[in-house]
Amino acid sequence: MGRWLRRLTYLFRQSRHEAELREEIEAHRALRAAHLEREGLTSREADEASRRAIGNVLLAHEDAREVWLGSWATWWQDIRYGVRTFRRSPMFTAVAVVTLALGIGVNAGVFTVLNGVLFRDLPAPAANELVSISQTVQGVKDLMGQDTFSTSEYRAYRDSTNTLSGVLAISNASGETTLGGDSPQNVYGALVSCNYFDVLRQPPALGRSLAARDCDAGADPVVVLGHDLWKTAFAANSDVVGRTIQLNRRFFTVVGVAAEGTYQGALKLGYFAPINAGRLLAAGDSRYENDKFLWLFLIGRQRDRVGLDQVRAELEVIAAQIDRQQPGRSTTLEIERAKQLTVPPGLRSAATGTAAVLMGAFGFILLIACANVANLFLARGTSRSHEIGIRLSLGASRARVVRQVMTESMLISVAGGLLGSVLAVWSFQWLVALAVPALVPPELPMSPAWDLSPNARVLSFAVAVTFGAGILFGLVPALHVSSSHPYAFTKHDSAAAGSSRRGVRLRATLVGVQVALCMVLMIAAALLLRGLYATYTIDLGYEYRDVAVVSLESAVDLSAEDFEALRRRLIARIEAMPGVDAVASADQDPLGDDFAPVAIRLPGEDERTARHGEAITVTPRYFSVLGLPIVRGRAFTDADVRSTQTGARPIIVSEATARNLWPGGDPIGRLLSSQNDTLQVVGVAADARVNAIGYVDPYQIYVPGAGSVLLIKNRNDFATTASGIRAIVRSLDPSLVLTVLPLSANLGWWRGISGTVTSLASGLGVLALVLATVGVYGVVSYAVTGRSREIGVRLALGATARNVLAMILRQTMRPVVVGASIGVAGAIAVSQVLSSVLFGVSPVDPIGLGGGALLVLGLALAAGLVAARPATRADPTTTLRYE
Amino acid sequence: MGLTNTPSDLLPGTLELLILKSLRSGPKHGYAIVEHLRVTSQDVLHVGESALYPALQRLLVNGWAKAEWGVSETNRRARYYRLTPAGRKQLAGERAEFERMVQAIQRVLEAS
Repeated sequence: MGRWLRRLTYLFRQSRHEAELREEIEAHRALRAAHLEREGLTSREADEASRRAIGNVLLAHEDAREVWLGSWATWWQDIRYGVRTFRRSPMFTAVAVVTLALGIGVNAGVFTVLNGVLFRDLPAPAANELVSISQTVQGVKDLMGQDTFSTSEYRAYRDSTNTLSGVLAISNASGETTLGGDSPQNVYGALVSCNYFDVLRQPPALGRSLAARDCDAGADPVVVLGHDLWKTAFAANSDVVGRTIQLNRRFFTVVGVAAEGTYQGALKLGYFAPINAGRLLAAGDSRYENDKFLWLFLIGRQRDRVGLDQVRAELEVIAAQIDRQQPGRSTTLEIERAKQLTVPPGLRSAATGTAAVLMGAFGFILLIACANVANLFLARGTSRSHEIGIRLSLGASRARVVRQVMTESMLISVAGGLLGSVLAVWSFQWLVALAVPALVPPELPMSPAWDLSPNARVLSFAVAVTFGAGILFGLVPALHVSSSHPYAFTKHDSAAAGSSRRGVRLRATLVGVQVALCMVLMIAAALLLRGLYATYTIDLGYEYRDVAVVSLESAVDLSAEDFEALRRRLIARIEAMPGVDAVASADQDPLGDDFAPVAIRLPGEDERTARHGEAITVTPRYFSVLGLPIVRGRAFTDADVRSTQTGARPIIVSEATARNLWPGGDPIGRLLSSQNDTLQVVGVAADARVNAIGYVDPYQIYVPGAGSVLLIKNRNDFATTASGIRAIVRSLDPSLVLTVLPLSANLGWWRGISGTVTSLASGLGVLALVLATVGVYGVVSYAVTGRSREIGVRLALGATARNVLAMILRQTMRPVVVGASIGVAGAIAVSQVLSSVLFGVSPVDPIGLGGGALLVLGLALAAGLVAARPATRADPTTTLRYE
Repeated sequence: MGLTNTPSDLLPGTLELLILKSLRSGPKHGYAIVEHLRVTSQDVLHVGESALYPALQRLLVNGWAKAEWGVSETNRRARYYRLTPAGRKQLAGERAEFERMVQAIQRVLEAS
C-alpha cells in the first residue's frame, strides 16, 4: 500500500527526484575525488580517476527510474523518444498516419453500420432480457407466412410460459393506411398485442398504453400514435389524447402517444393498433382469425435469473404440444436475444455472408494500408540502421530495440486510429446517406427506425483494429531492424546496408501483397460497374418507360363490391384522360415487392412433385399495356375475368414455363392443377422479368382477374399523369389517398442496390489503388536511391539511361506482376460470390476483368517509371567521385 | 566494469542486504556505503554506482530506508540514508534467509 503511494508521489515529483539523484551521484564522485586526493593524487588526476570509476551514470539513472516505475518507465521513455523522432521527420509521419487513418477509418465506419444492423440490442430498457422468437414449420399444408406465428399459437406461448414474464406480438398493418382529416395522408402502422408497451417497459409519453380490454372482441377501436406521426400530423398537440381519428375511414380513439424511441421494428410506425383491429383497417384481413396464417412476430421478456436455455426448453415443450394437435406437423423454434433488427432465419446466412464480404473488402483496405506503412518503416528502418547499430553495439538488447521500434509503430497506429475515428464518422454518414434511400424509397410513407449511431462495441472495435494494425505493420520491420548487424554503422554506408537482400525481399513481398489485394478490389469494382450498367441496359421483355402504377392498397378497407366499383370507375375515368392509351389492373406490379407463389402440377402428379412458380392475376389489357407479346394462342378476354363458371380456369403461361412443362409440345389447351383448381392454357406470353431483374422465373403463369394495382400506359410526362390521376381520385372519394409512381421506380430500386454496392466498391477500389500506387512508388524510389552509386557506375561504364531504367523496372515490377496474377485469381473467386448475389455480375466478364487488371498494372508501372526516372539523370562523375 | 565485483552477481537481493547491514550502524551516504563494503570485505566487494543507486532506490520504494540531505565529514552536501523500522525487520528476515541459502549451497557443494 505504502509502496504504491510512494510510487505515485514519485510520479508527481519525477524531475525533482532525478535532479536529486544527479546531484547525489556527483557528490559521490566528489567524495571519491577528495578521497583520492588525500591518498596523494593531484586534484586533476583525482578528478579524472573518479570520473572513470563512476562508470555509466546514465544507466544508473535509467535503472533507478525503473525501480520506481517498473517497465512503465522504459515504455514511457520509448514513447517520448518515438515522438521526438517523428517530430524530426514530419513527412514520413504524416504519410504513415494518414494512410493508417484511411484504413482504420473506413473499417470503423462500416463496422458502425454493421453493428447497427446485426448486433445492436433492441432499444428498450433491460434489453438483455428480451428474446425474439421465430419458428420454422414443416408438414402442414396451406400454411401462409413463415418464421412468424398465428394468433392461436401466440396465445399458446403467451399463456403457457413461466420463464417469460410476458410475450408481445407485432405485425405490420396490411399495406398503407390512410389517415383521414383535412388533408388525408398515407401512413404506415402496426397491429400489436395489448401488452406491447408493458413487455417492452416503454410506457407512452402521453395518455395510457393499450390495455387488455382493448384487444377483446367488440372493444371500441383505440390506437396509440407513434411519436413521429404525432409530431408531424398533430403538431405535437397534447390534447390529441381522447380525440377520434380516421384510419382507412374507420374511427379510432387515440388513447396515448408512444414515447420517443419506443421499439417499432425496422420502420417507423405511425400508429399502434390492437392486434384484432386488422379487419377494421382492411376488409377481408383474416389474419387474426385464421389459424393457418403465420403473421405475428414474437418478443418475450425473460424472468429474473432465467437463462436462454431454460426459455428454449420450455417453449419447445409448448411447440411440441402444438405439434401433437396437428398430426404431421413439426416445429423448430429459434430463440435468441432480441436485436434491433431481426433477420429472419431464412435470410440469416445471406446477411452474414454479405456482411463478411463487406468486412472483407474493407479489411483489404486496412491490409494494404498496413503493408504501405510497414514498407515505409522498413525503408526508414534501413536508413536508421546506423542508429540501431550504435545502440546494439553499446549493449542494448535486441528485445529492447524491438520494443523501441514496436512502440514507434504503436504511436503511429494510435495517431492513425484517432484520425481514423474522425474519418469513420464521415464515412459512416456517407454510407448511411448512400444506403438508406436505396433500401427505403423516399416516395413511400416509411422511414427506417433503426439506430446506427456508434456505441461501446464500435469503440472497442476501433481500438482493437488500431492495435491490431500497429502490431501487423510494426512487427515485420521491428524484427528486420533488430536483426541488423551491430557493425552496420561502422561502414558509413547505410544505403548499402539498407539494400540488404532480406530487406529487399521483404519489401517486394509487401508490394506483391498490396497489388494482389488492390487487384481483387479493383476487379470486383469493375465487375460491379458492369453489373450496374447492365441494370440500365437490360431488356426486361416488356416496356416500363411510359407506364404509371397506381396502388389501391390504402382502399383495402372497402368491401369487395365497393372496391370493385371503385376500381371500375377509376379505370374508366383514367382511360378517358387525354394521352392515356390503356389501363390494366393486376394484383402486383412488375418488379414490385409483392409476390404470389403458386404450386402447379401436371395432371397425375401429386403435391410433392409440384413445381413452385409465380402467379400474377391480370386483366386482359395487362399484356398490351406492358407491350408483352402473346406468342401463341390468345390473350385474356373480359369474359375470362368475369367467368365464375366451374371447370378449367383459362391461364396464360410464359414461354419458359411451356418449355419446361411440355418440351417440344404444343402447350395450348393443356391442363394443369394448382391446389383444387384446374387450369387450362389458352396462351403463351413471351418471357419477361416481372419478379426479379436477374432472372426469368421458370414457372410463370398469368391468371385472369383484377387486383389492387393499376398500370397506366400513357404518352404524357409522369407528373401530368400523376396529378391527373390524383384529381380523379379526389373527385371520386376525397378521403382516399392513392400512391402513384412510375413503373421505372421499381427498376430504380434494383439500380439503387446495384448502385450502392458499386459506388462502395469503386470507392474502396480507388482508395486501394491510390494506396498501392504510393506503395509501388515508395519501393521503387527507395531502391533507386539505395543503388544510386551502382547506377552511376553503370552509366559511367556506358549503359544508356534506357538500359538502366529497364533494369530497375524489370527488378521492381516482378513482385507487382506476381501480386497481380494472384490478385486476378482471387478476384475471380470473389466475383463468383458477387454474381450469385447481384444482378448482371459475371465472374468471367473479360471487359471487367481485363479493364480492372490493366488499370492496376498500368498505374503500378507508371508509378514505377516516375519513381525510377531520377536515377537515369544521375551524374556519373558525382557518383564516381565517391568511389 | 570487470573491476566492480557487484554482489548482485551472486544472489538477487544480496546487495540490498549488504546495504541494509551497513546502514545498521548509523546513517550513511552512498560513497560511505561503498567504502564501508570495500573495507569490511577486505577489498573484495567493489560496488559500482550503477548498481548502488538503483539498489538504494529500491530501499526507498519499499520504505526500508529514508533519505535526507546532510553535510559530509569533508563539508560537502551529501544524501544520507537512514534505516526505518521496516528496514530493520527486513534486514533480520533477509539475513536469516541468506544464511539458509548459503548453508543450502554449501551442502550442495560439499555433497560427494
